[in-house]
Amino acid sequence: MSGSVILETKSLTKAFGGLVALDKVDLSLQAGKITAIIGPNGAGKTTLFNLIAGVYPVSSGEIYFQGKMLNKIPPHKRAALGIVRTFQHVHLFENMTVLENVMSGRHPRSSYGFLEAALRLPKARREEEAISLNAIKYLNLVGLGTHAEHDSLSLPLGQQKLLAIARAMATQPRLILLDEPGAGLNTLEKRQLSDLIRNIREMGISVILVEHDMPLVMGLAEWVIVLDSGQKIAEGTAAQVQKNPKVIAAYLGEEVE
Amino acid sequence: MLSRLKSKWSYVVIAALLTLSILLPFDWFLSQYTTLAIFIGIYTIVTVGLCLLMGYTGQVSLGQAAFFGIGAYISAILSKTYGVNPWLAMLIAAIMTGAFAYIIGYPIFRLKGNYLAMATLGLGLIMWILFRELSHFTGGPDGMSGIPYLSIGGFVFNTSFRRYFLVWFFCLAVLLISQNIVRSRVGRALRAIHGSEAASESIGINVEQFKVKILVLSAVYASIAGSLFVHHLRFVSPGTFDFLASVKLVVMAVIGGLASVWGAIFGAGATRILSDEILLRFGQWDIVIYGLILVLVMIFMPEGLFVRLKEIFERLRLMYRQRGVEP
Repeated sequence: MSGSVILETKSLTKAFGGLVALDKVDLSLQAGKITAIIGPNGAGKTTLFNLIAGVYPVSSGEIYFQGKMLNKIPPHKRAALGIVRTFQHVHLFENMTVLENVMSGRHPRSSYGFLEAALRLPKARREEEAISLNAIKYLNLVGLGTHAEHDSLSLPLGQQKLLAIARAMATQPRLILLDEPGAGLNTLEKRQLSDLIRNIREMGISVILVEHDMPLVMGLAEWVIVLDSGQKIAEGTAAQVQKNPKVIAAYLGEEVE
Repeated sequence: MLSRLKSKWSYVVIAALLTLSILLPFDWFLSQYTTLAIFIGIYTIVTVGLCLLMGYTGQVSLGQAAFFGIGAYISAILSKTYGVNPWLAMLIAAIMTGAFAYIIGYPIFRLKGNYLAMATLGLGLIMWILFRELSHFTGGPDGMSGIPYLSIGGFVFNTSFRRYFLVWFFCLAVLLISQNIVRSRVGRALRAIHGSEAASESIGINVEQFKVKILVLSAVYASIAGSLFVHHLRFVSPGTFDFLASVKLVVMAVIGGLASVWGAIFGAGATRILSDEILLRFGQWDIVIYGLILVLVMIFMPEGLFVRLKEIFERLRLMYRQRGVEP
């Protein structure tokens, strides 16, 4: 896997009215790595994230996923291609059990529809069995196997975030986008999260995370991209980026001499 | 644990219904209520569709009577005016109502929440006006009478007793189909949309398409119910499909528990009994009482009366059995 490019952007730009949130950003991300996108508030991290996920259309420029142009692909089709995201505000399906949340994540990897469901045709039963087996597997991956039948909202926030990752993983992605996975977690929960993210990388899945928690980012990320005011100002390993004067200036809000 | 309880419950309900459906018309006392039971069956079919749409998918419809009416009038006009076989008329009505729902589905689901409610309310009013004003086809405010009965070969459904079985055959079929859908990949997708549209898209659910499809299904249910309605009464007039009718349908769905397929029988039953047996005495005030019921149920039992009663029953049973030892 390593060596090949999983995600590439060319001169990617997004403007909201007059405000340019992302300005001609070129990225090239290696497959099978944990990449972090950091930057001060308003740097364009979330915008970049949403463009990759397809939440809104790009203004100009292109996004390629494994060499395939993504610009015109609606968000719900990106999951089937192998791109999945989590949300800063978790967005669990509160009206479902823990297991059902993960089963929902099997949607793009199953295909039976209304007719097969209505009549319980063999295809539906066969797929449904595979869906629950797989869902349990992904629930165990994040260590929530014993909570399968609980209401998803009965879990503490840390476990809710793990559940959201399990649901995303159930789509069998090639690339997983994590939006501030560490926000609101305590030290122990953050350690569990780091282990899980490394685990996911070991499975050959590329990870992109947007995160404010610098110790978490620096401990995990093999590649760090720094955005400021919609532009890419630096990229490199965690150690390289930390020494970069532009990055220091962006965070401290000082002019570069 | 919970899901196992749920599935056990539905078997109990099915068994009870089957027993009831066989015993009901034979009993000399209850036979007076055959007509009421027919209407409950018909309205249950519409309510189940509304439960799928509102309770599971979270999309409000204040105009469900429109689909009910379209099905009813197409069946009535084709079978009476044009002499089409009533079964074929019923099929054509279901297809046309479904197609209509499909066409309006895409533009209407650009809207959300209160705006969607307003649009569907408008749809209901427009159809009601059309039923009255297209008097060349529909007979106008006076309606149409002399609509033929359904029949199979030489067997004509010309007694309430016979139609009772016909209606409940359709009703149970619709309930079973709906239950299967709810407990499937499709049902999860619908509930996911209710839970979070953004998250649904992120895991590959085509939100817009699922919304339209469930609207089509609910419209087809309503159309079938409408056809059964006209072939039962042999009469149809616009009053059955006015705004109050749409409100009553929402009341039925809410009382039954929006996210409960079998609760629809309870909701339709309670509401029909209320309107046929009790509210008649209040005349024009009945809409106030419906409004009041809707508000009270939504405030105190948002899961619906049926679901709440079921919970209480389960809790009592557990207490009685083992004094609350849960695995």
